[in-house]
Amino acid sequence: MLLITGCGVAADAPATPPPAGVARSETPAPTPSATGAPAGPAASGVPLTDASLGAHTAQPLVQPARVEVPSLGIDVTVAPEGVDATGALALSDDPAVASWYRYGPTPWSTAGTAVIAAHVDSFDYGVGQFARLLDAPVGTEIVTTSVDGRVARFSVQQVSMVDKTGVDWNAVFDRSGPHLLALVTCGGEFDYDTGHYLSNVIVTAAPIA
Amino acid sequence: MRKTLIAGIAAGAFIAAAAALPASAAEGDAQLSVLHAVPGVTVDVYVNGALTLDDFTPGTLAGPLPLAAGTYSVAITASDAADASAPVIGPVDLSLAANGNYTAVAHLDASGNPTATLFTNDTATLAAGEGRLTVRHVAAAPAVDVLAAGSPVITNLANPGESVLTLPAGTVSASVAATGTTDPVIGPADVDVAEGTNTIVYAWGSLADDNLALAVQTIGGLHSNPGGVPAGNAGLVATNKPADSTGLLVGGALALLLAALAITAVRSRVLAKAER
Repeated sequence: MLLITGCGVAADAPATPPPAGVARSETPAPTPSATGAPAGPAASGVPLTDASLGAHTAQPLVQPARVEVPSLGIDVTVAPEGVDATGALALSDDPAVASWYRYGPTPWSTAGTAVIAAHVDSFDYGVGQFARLLDAPVGTEIVTTSVDGRVARFSVQQVSMVDKTGVDWNAVFDRSGPHLLALVTCGGEFDYDTGHYLSNVIVTAAPIA
Repeated sequence: MRKTLIAGIAAGAFIAAAAALPASAAEGDAQLSVLHAVPGVTVDVYVNGALTLDDFTPGTLAGPLPLAAGTYSVAITASDAADASAPVIGPVDLSLAANGNYTAVAHLDASGNPTATLFTNDTATLAAGEGRLTVRHVAAAPAVDVLAAGSPVITNLANPGESVLTLPAGTVSASVAATGTTDPVIGPADVDVAEGTNTIVYAWGSLADDNLALAVQTIGGLHSNPGGVPAGNAGLVATNKPADSTGLLVGGALALLLAALAITAVRSRVLAKAER
């Protein structure tokens, strides 16, 4: 598994091939709870929702299009991505094109961690801009810009290099805790036999009010 | 409506319902939702004799209500009934297991008579990027096929049956046709199969009365997360770079050439392994 997943940790959840006739939405809703349009409170306080199909259309998301770290000269474009065939976050080969995990929070969400990742290097493109993240001091400003021009700013709280066998991905991709931005890449030692870095570099940043 | 006085009289009975609200949910509680899928009639719903849903209108979903595991008697009456003594549906006994997730549906049977069915909702965790689509036939209509983009994905689904699919998250263009046919009696309509969510679609109403429709219930929070971030494969910033690769940093045509050769060698090894 590791041999064909770049430097990723093998996942235990292989993707199912899409059945015929199922189209992928360009704007999937974020994990919705069991809600539709409110239909008003019941006498006994039981929550009521309108079950009509029209009350359950996918809500368009504010999608990130660009991430900049001005003080480190980082300026990459961002594409929405899901998982690859191994269940890892799908990534462009080009380190200048980062992936935002499209099923998790966005930089404009009110809760959970928006995760944006890019290759630290590549044979075809050389060293990527995210290689500089390792040197980001606490307080470094990160600027994200949405497809429709909105800007959200974050401040680096922590830069950690974590051995891949020890990363708690459920915590990194958290959807319900405090709103954060995580920039993720690879780093540390390289296994020249398998073509993988042994660690992930994870930058955690909090919103700047 | 005329329940104002009754509400006061039944205050004691309301404790059962009030205790079932989310604020007082307890560990191990079952979750019960109620869908009204009988066209044209507004009803009241009594749970264990207590008025729990007042003036409940068709196409409305109530809940989820956290309820301690056990058996509950549910009676559905006309909306002007004074109590649960003359139900139009039931009373039916619903057995709810600890931590179970259920939807009780008041609906028409295949011949058009009011009835109620308790469905168990699948809340198993989904793989990252996937959604679950549950289709339930609760309409006064013969068996149906469900078509996605014109192709049958569920066949011969009869009232009060269900079928459960796991799909890549996204929008499905769904239609419902009499089984063995492709001419839609409902749809086509876009159904959002959201990631990490069980999207439950009910075909309800009556074919004879020409009021077939879709109702939707969603149960979220069933997602899992990517299992890794494979974000580098060339070793160019490795902390354990061999000496010939380090030469790349100090420059010089010979060093660059050596580095290129080293990278090519690494790439060949990687490709060789990847092909195994």
